[in-house]
Amino acid sequence: MNDFLELLVGATASGCVYALVALSYLLITRPTGVINFAVGEWSMLAAFGGFVLLSRLSLPYPVGMVLVLGGMFLIGWATERLTVRPLLEKGAPALAPILALLGMLVVFREVVSLGFGPDPQPVPPSFGFGRLELGLIAGSYQSFFIIAVTLSVFALTWYFFERTLAGKSFEAVAIDRRAAALMGINLRRVTSLAFAGSAVVAGLAGVLVSPNVSAHYLMGLPLAIQGFTALVIGGVGRVEGALLGGLILAFAEQFTVRYAPVPPGLAMGVPLVLLIVFLLLKPTGLLRAREARP
Amino acid sequence: MRQWIVLAIAALVLSAIGFALGAYQTDVYRKLLLWITLALGYNFLFGISGQVAFSHFTFYGIGAYAIVILLFQVGLPLPLAVLVGIALCVVLALIVAIPATRLEGFYLALATLAFAQLFIVVLNEGGAVTGAAGGLANYRLPDVFGMRVTGPWYTVVIVLLLLSTWTILWRLDRSYFGRACRAVRDDPEAARAMGVNVAHTKIIAYTVTSALAGMAGMVYAFVDNTVNPLIFGLENVFLLLFMVIVGGSGRHAGAVVGAVLLYLLPLVLSPLIGHHHALVFGVFMVVVVLFQPKGLIGLWDMLRKRGGRA
Amino acid sequence: MSAPLLVVRALSKSFGGLQAVADVDLDVYAGEILGVIGPNGAGKSTTFSMIAGALPPTSGTLMLDGESLLTLPTHAFARRGIMRTFQHNKPFVSMSLQDNVMVGMHTRLGGGLWRVLLNLGGAARTEQDAAHRANELIDFVGLGEWRDADVSSLSFGQGRLLEIARGLAAEPRLMLFDEPAAGLTPAECERLAVIIRQIAKRGIAVVLIEHDMRFLMALADRVVVLNFGRKIAQGTPAEVQRDAAVVSAYLGDVNVPDRNSMKAVGHA
Repeated sequence: MNDFLELLVGATASGCVYALVALSYLLITRPTGVINFAVGEWSMLAAFGGFVLLSRLSLPYPVGMVLVLGGMFLIGWATERLTVRPLLEKGAPALAPILALLGMLVVFREVVSLGFGPDPQPVPPSFGFGRLELGLIAGSYQSFFIIAVTLSVFALTWYFFERTLAGKSFEAVAIDRRAAALMGINLRRVTSLAFAGSAVVAGLAGVLVSPNVSAHYLMGLPLAIQGFTALVIGGVGRVEGALLGGLILAFAEQFTVRYAPVPPGLAMGVPLVLLIVFLLLKPTGLLRAREARP
Repeated sequence: MRQWIVLAIAALVLSAIGFALGAYQTDVYRKLLLWITLALGYNFLFGISGQVAFSHFTFYGIGAYAIVILLFQVGLPLPLAVLVGIALCVVLALIVAIPATRLEGFYLALATLAFAQLFIVVLNEGGAVTGAAGGLANYRLPDVFGMRVTGPWYTVVIVLLLLSTWTILWRLDRSYFGRACRAVRDDPEAARAMGVNVAHTKIIAYTVTSALAGMAGMVYAFVDNTVNPLIFGLENVFLLLFMVIVGGSGRHAGAVVGAVLLYLLPLVLSPLIGHHHALVFGVFMVVVVLFQPKGLIGLWDMLRKRGGRA
Repeated sequence: MSAPLLVVRALSKSFGGLQAVADVDLDVYAGEILGVIGPNGAGKSTTFSMIAGALPPTSGTLMLDGESLLTLPTHAFARRGIMRTFQHNKPFVSMSLQDNVMVGMHTRLGGGLWRVLLNLGGAARTEQDAAHRANELIDFVGLGEWRDADVSSLSFGQGRLLEIARGLAAEPRLMLFDEPAAGLTPAECERLAVIIRQIAKRGIAVVLIEHDMRFLMALADRVVVLNFGRKIAQGTPAEVQRDAAVVSAYLGDVNVPDRNSMKAVGHA
């Protein structure tokens, strides 16, 4: 039973990481329709940022975290400005920004590989390697930290979209770009913010997950696939969908590894199979987008 | 008639080159020919038929593993193994095509990406059948009519593969089918109004190109005489996409240019940047998408037009 | 008079609770130009889409030359000889004008892929003939001068002509025009009317939905008027113009606005 509860915490933490990556996609996809293949690489960049600032330079955790996230904000903003905006403004076909971002994926990865080499690098967890016991539920400090941070981020994001004017303008752009522009919403600003915010969230995921898996230049793509699977399961229309999708995916993964009679290597196939199944059978995901309000 | 003459000459010239090269150069040349073959097929699927799929290289791998398994584990004689291998490639391509072509744009990309990853997972966990992470090695092409097909003679096989792939795709492109593929890519609703069966067109395009990739894989298996999961990983999947786009998506010549450039460039640049040629490709990709979406072939066309006017 | 080519009976379409088209009957004869008019929301587009095979009817029958069209998928309509144009021009932007028109011939050229691959039975010759025919059609609609232009550089009116050439490429028996005059200059409208008349003269049945009254009334042999999804009148343009129901629905007198019809329009 304890074993099960421990698995519960671990799976929830994993699910939260996937949820953050899914949210990262969602923040860009909804207002612009662009699917950013490079989110995984953003997570990786942040993980390496964490390595440099927290491991090598031994800065205090909060300071390092803020610096990394600040850096990610700039990277997200720069990515949009340099590789996406020219295409969107030129009226390039929808595929173009996606391909450009794919190119950026490779560039980011190779730059990191050039700079840090092929070996995994350690990133320290937020509160050290201890464990916390809350009654029946037990898990590592990091797991609880991840869960707490993710829930906060989602709460903030939900609040942003539902209750603030800026968030509403995002929604408007998501529903109809042209109409939003006609209503005076600054499309450029929304797009820049979307990318910047997305990079911050992706970066957060990277720093949170790397204590467990180490920062490694190849960590981006598997994370990107898991994040996208979570997005597809939960449904692109709603922020909560990303969280739901992430949790479902993580639980399916972990419980298959633990209890199903298949070799652990095959468990890596779980997100892939789930993704394919959902894309074929229920591509809109489990949660419907909210109906446009009159 | 003329077509046959041109093809025959091409076959002779390309094969002759194979006979003139030393051992290392032969390896580069063979792989170049295979990449061109793959790029041609992928260009048809991605560029002409407009299907954003990442499964092309996976079928290459399926073909490669299939022929090795059929020959050395199932123990079939070579001609039968080849026939069964081809049939397997076609059937598998069709089975994947039917659900895959129902997906649009990004969903297709993701589903095929997942499929590509799943293939690697299956290979890694395949135990003795697939040789797991180490793959299968230490085999060689069985004798054909008692003769060993090796060295430049095997290069001839690759040349024939390339030319057949070219011919098939060229003819398909220059027919009502090629136009139908482009129509479906440009505007499926209008295509339907013109009588094009959109679903069938996509399925045929996907199946033919994937099966061709599988057959190329069968030929590849005997180039290095080894197959392992690393070869068929995402690195090469992306490289194929980059080749087609940098060269010029939708144009056969573009596929050739892209394949030649992106395959040979790392060899030329390796003294400078070692293994990090992927960085250069990524940059090329971004530059091409931003500034010259028609690829290098598009650039060539533009320069020719300007030259004509001057 | 011979039997009608297209017979539509009790055609209806409802979307959820909304009845867009109810109980519409239509006959279209080979060689005639049938106009379909009605105020906004009358159900013209929906009816058109159903006849073109783009939208399945909720109920009713659609017969072309005695054969039912009801269960056919959209792409099968072209094979049966029904071709259409799109109101907002939908050309294939990556292809030349000639290739665009040749796509229209898809149902005539599909001889089988094996024939293509093995270059059998004069597949090359068929292509040549098709290209030749495409050029003839491009000339017929008046785009000969722009034959080598980029499709994206064509004006809206020229794009409309390309749509028509593409539709004719299939040698249809029934040609459907979706607001063909929309967005055209008066000179282009004139040219369009000439083309449509020539098409009908070839024995092709023509159905066009249109908002431009002057254009349609001058061109059509017969007119059907829809309102709120139902047919409220049919007849020659002159008969329909005089029909009280039509006048009160939305039509002012095309030639001379008189006080009564203006009042009716004002209250519409």
